[in-house]
Amino acid sequence: MTTAIKTRIDASRDCRGIGCPMNLVYTKVELSRLAPGQVLEVILDHGAPINNVPRSVIREAHEIIGQNRLDDGAWQLLIRKV
Amino acid sequence: MHITVNGESKEFNQAEFSIADLLEEAEVDSPEMVSVQVNGSVIDRSHYADTTLKDDDEVDFLYFMGGGRR
Amino acid sequence: MIEFNEEQLQRYSRHILLADVGVEGQEKLCRAKVLIVGAGGLGAPVALYLAAAGVGTIGIADADSVEISNLQRQISHFHHNIGDAKVDSAREKILAINPEIKVNTYYEYLRADNIREIIRDYDFVVEGTDNFPTKFLVNDACIMEGIPFSHGGILRFDGQAMTVVPGKSACYRCVFREPPPPDAVPSCSQAGVLGAIAGMLGTIQAAEALKFITGAGELLTDTLLSFDARNMDFRKTRLHCQENCPICGKNPGIHELIDYEHGGCGIKSSKSVAA
Ligand SMILES: [Zn+2]
Repeated sequence: MTTAIKTRIDASRDCRGIGCPMNLVYTKVELSRLAPGQVLEVILDHGAPINNVPRSVIREAHEIIGQNRLDDGAWQLLIRKV
Repeated sequence: MHITVNGESKEFNQAEFSIADLLEEAEVDSPEMVSVQVNGSVIDRSHYADTTLKDDDEVDFLYFMGGGRR
Repeated sequence: MIEFNEEQLQRYSRHILLADVGVEGQEKLCRAKVLIVGAGGLGAPVALYLAAAGVGTIGIADADSVEISNLQRQISHFHHNIGDAKVDSAREKILAINPEIKVNTYYEYLRADNIREIIRDYDFVVEGTDNFPTKFLVNDACIMEGIPFSHGGILRFDGQAMTVVPGKSACYRCVFREPPPPDAVPSCSQAGVLGAIAGMLGTIQAAEALKFITGAGELLTDTLLSFDARNMDFRKTRLHCQENCPICGKNPGIHELIDYEHGGCGIKSSKSVAA
């Protein structure tokens, strides 16, 4: 199920076990370190985290380029910084 | 004559009306503690009596507010 | 770039979450320097909220000591502070909220001969004094030094605030020209103020400082916000730079700072007593 996404990942943050809203805080911190156009991978728990974080990221105009279920049930979210 | 005072529309019967008259009409207790703006221009305190208002003028009373002291 | 540690990320998470503040805005706050003139009814909540927000350097100027009659509204001063310098009492609470803040205290009168040197170190000034001589002094000094500031005033159930960005927006003198005659100013013991009004207005001023630093939203520039808490009426009056303003107009008549005479109430000359 771990579909390989053919894109370069510039930074990654594992937010397994981290609830809302700190998972979004960490996501925003990682994004702030990237240049526009670079890609961030965030691993989010199933449930509220994967429901909420993408919405908030989109609201700040970043692009979600991938959302994939991992073997352990968590989600890989790929964000391209605006 | 129609004048807007602090955003509120008011009608006055007088034909000639100065800022001093308006301050009196509006029962402002201490005119020294208010700055008067007419259509965006702040009027010099010494000209309240000789500044006449026109129909549809917009007047703002801006109060000096310091504080409650001790 | 500031590398926030885990504790800072938790502490400032609600700012970082805001789209208009974010990591970048919080970095600006942590690097910012704000001076609070008057540690009284207005300055007290300003100091607490700026400390909570992580404003890196907070200066407080006030030459007064805490009295029991202050405690009804000056919420950074506690019963155990009676007799302490207000600047020390405020510093104690700032550091209790956020030990990372650098606090500069000025336990002195702000006068024509010292104010420019003091404010020069700051990015923004919050003026929360109760007296017109100091309000005009802060306005003129900020215009001369090009430092933006927030004006705040309270009386009885009323409050007013405006933000001045020198060279860009109307200044306090554009609107109020010169101090009212001292004998027309409501006397201290008679006027009174509802305690919570100080908090309402002080938090408006704190919000203006945070907005200025982060660039979020629109400031109360060219605007006098006034409210009457008896019926919670809020009103914004549009202001304009006045060409004949004696300090920021076309031909300013004021070239040097003025120490105006203070009115009655036994207020010592040029003392920056807070509201
Ligand atoms: Zn001006």
